[in-house]
Amino acid sequence: MKTLISTALAAVICATAAPAETFRWAGITDPQTMDPHAVNSAPVTSFLNNVYEGLVRRGKDMSIEPALAESWEPIGDGEGWRFHLRHGVTFHDGSAFDASDVIFSYNRASNEVSDVKGWFAPVAQVNMVDDFTVDILTKAPNPIFPDSIANWMIMDAGWAAKVGAELPDKENGNAATQSANGTGAFILSDRQPGLQTTLLPFAGWWDEANHNITKATFTPIKNSATAVAALLSGDIDLINPVPIQDAARLASNDEIKVVQGIEARVIMFGFGHAADTLKYTDDAGKPNPFQDVRVRQAVAHAINVPAILQTIMRGNAEPASQLVSPAMRGFSSTNAARPAYDVAAAKALLVDAGYGDGFSFGLKCPNDRYLNDESVCQAAVSMLAQIGITAELDAMPVRTYWPELREDNFDMYLLGWSPGTFDHEHPVRFLASTPNAEKKLGSWNFGGYSNARIDELLPMIQSEIDDVKRQAMLDEVTHLYQSEHAYVPMYVQPLVWGTRSNIELTQRPDNFLILRWITMN
Amino acid sequence: MLSYIIRRIFQSILVLLVVGLVAFSMFRFVGDPIENMMGQERTQADIVRLRAQLGLDQPFPVQYWKFLKGAAQGNFGVSYRQGRPVGQIIAERAPATLELAAVSGFFAIIAGIGLGIFTAIRQKGWASHFIMTASLIGVSLPTFLIGILLIYLFSVELDLLPSFGRGDVVKIGFWSTGFLTASGLKALILPSITLGLYQMTLIMRLVRAEMQEVLRQDYINFARARGLSERVVNFRHALKNTLVPVITVIGLQLGSIIAFAIITETVFQWPGVGLLFINAIQFVDIPVMAAYLMLISVMFVGINLLVDLLYAAIDPRLRSESAT
Repeated sequence: MKTLISTALAAVICATAAPAETFRWAGITDPQTMDPHAVNSAPVTSFLNNVYEGLVRRGKDMSIEPALAESWEPIGDGEGWRFHLRHGVTFHDGSAFDASDVIFSYNRASNEVSDVKGWFAPVAQVNMVDDFTVDILTKAPNPIFPDSIANWMIMDAGWAAKVGAELPDKENGNAATQSANGTGAFILSDRQPGLQTTLLPFAGWWDEANHNITKATFTPIKNSATAVAALLSGDIDLINPVPIQDAARLASNDEIKVVQGIEARVIMFGFGHAADTLKYTDDAGKPNPFQDVRVRQAVAHAINVPAILQTIMRGNAEPASQLVSPAMRGFSSTNAARPAYDVAAAKALLVDAGYGDGFSFGLKCPNDRYLNDESVCQAAVSMLAQIGITAELDAMPVRTYWPELREDNFDMYLLGWSPGTFDHEHPVRFLASTPNAEKKLGSWNFGGYSNARIDELLPMIQSEIDDVKRQAMLDEVTHLYQSEHAYVPMYVQPLVWGTRSNIELTQRPDNFLILRWITMN
Repeated sequence: MLSYIIRRIFQSILVLLVVGLVAFSMFRFVGDPIENMMGQERTQADIVRLRAQLGLDQPFPVQYWKFLKGAAQGNFGVSYRQGRPVGQIIAERAPATLELAAVSGFFAIIAGIGLGIFTAIRQKGWASHFIMTASLIGVSLPTFLIGILLIYLFSVELDLLPSFGRGDVVKIGFWSTGFLTASGLKALILPSITLGLYQMTLIMRLVRAEMQEVLRQDYINFARARGLSERVVNFRHALKNTLVPVITVIGLQLGSIIAFAIITETVFQWPGVGLLFINAIQFVDIPVMAAYLMLISVMFVGINLLVDLLYAAIDPRLRSESAT
């Protein structure tokens, strides 16, 4: 009898405890568009992953899993990939999904005006075999192609034609900038740019929904103190990011959970390799010491990364040895050691290089791009002073930072890199290849680092099917840029989210908030 | 008189043009919008193409001329960030700022005059001392700090008021109002106090000083000698004469309430034009920045023009001077 009563009671509680669950979350930046092909930036792709879907998607552990494609296999000897599409999928407006939508989305996303066309650079041709089979032929064997298109969102061809959004329009906007019609777990129901965006669950979603959200609203909150207050007062259920300095205080609050992880982004220092002379301070015009590998190595030994992590990152980040974090594909585990903090060794290297008396130079740094970026640079300045070299720090907002770096106005600079493909090949292509606008290589290699062997290995890595051989080549590349101290990788940036304590979620290293993994208790 | 008005209007237009020119020449130092508009896998060719498309490759006098031409026809261009006409965005955001400015202006005037009278009449009481000391906080603490303190007290600790935003709004035609819902009214309280506190303190101290001055005048003594009640003396005779300079100051402060709203709107994530402007700076959204700065300068120039014309209407000397 007692059990019967408690069961009945439990049933009553359960019945009353399932009211409308509105999930409200806040971030700093509003996604600037709802068009998945117009802007390739993290706030946009992260948000739209809830509304649109690709042929493949990433699971909780970042692995690739089937989405709109049920399965895929390589064609022939590395000629391309065949995707078998899922049957019975509908878009939010009810129209059916088939291969014509994939072809349309390919043409739309690879068009000259698209911002994601870079993903399709290896593609030679896309063929529709039948209504539910698509062949994507690549110019060269491309083992990681399915991995590289996880954020390629499929749009409904009929809808786009109807609303006049056949192509993305970054400059003037169109229907796809403000509204959406995807196949994802959530429908975009209301969009007020810069104010609030509302999503509703899609009842006709093909996959099993494991969340219990009945409505989700996103509000950009610019001021981090306001966001923290909103979380504390219960006006918001999740904020991303939590300011590092507030993390400990929030964690001690019973109503709040701090969810921490490691992001994909590696923070590093770069050097002006190609500059023959220094550009800043009294030493401007003198030969550039950073062209000497011993000086770069001295810098690597002088930066006390554990201390930076302990004090500025409050123990929330992990040291980095190479251009990618251990969570990324192609991480070189044979090169996982990073230069130790060793002032004596650094000084000896400087003497060896003929800079025993030190020198001064300009260090450029953003002050609103990465977590505590300016503080990290300030710490580096005092650490470098210990080995007798004087850095003159110039910190600026990111909107002027990239133009400044593009103009080569630096002697040394801070950079963070998050590989869009979650593969080591990505930073090698963008940061370690000799800059070549025509081949679209080294476009973020501001310092002009150049190594002929790396340039030679990159295309081989890109087309190597055999994983063991590919990793061997990546190990070689890692060893090369490490031994030349092309960059000084310091740490992997932490992810710190704050939620109300009733929220269960999964945090992925790419910092995407996936609503379908959220439950509210 | 007519030539005076025409000359003043002409001068105002000149001021507007110069403000616009200075603003436009500054934009290139704010940063490069292209950097924010494209992802990390962009190429140099993409940058050049987009720059040409937006007309950013042209010298700034040409860009400025194009902006003026559009603005004269009521077309402020398309926001780089939102991909929508700037005029439409500003029209959407303006009600939030105007309602906030109206409520905080109202609060500043009522509370400022009320407290000013109180402290002027009861100069010695502990309440007056307390109000005067507390008002020092109003002028000396920066707005964002006051805002954050209020949020922590009233929404985090006491859980009485919302910590950010505007609450539910009701659409009446193109105007969205927060006056008609409970959550909208509650959301107005903290931002209005934050925004109006400085003005309130200013008005209060002005009223107090003026009123003390007036209370020392002979006619007040005569009024008292006539046996009029304190209430009549204070409110009928003293207050009336106090308010003349106060009203002038209030008029001039109206513009700055709207301009100061930028900080308050950022702290409270208030969806008005100030927040829009801050976000535009961060994104280097030139069309939005240009339109906002032009609107603010139109407002200030307009208020000044109005004040000048009113002076001319009130003061005959100005009229005769312009006639010579």
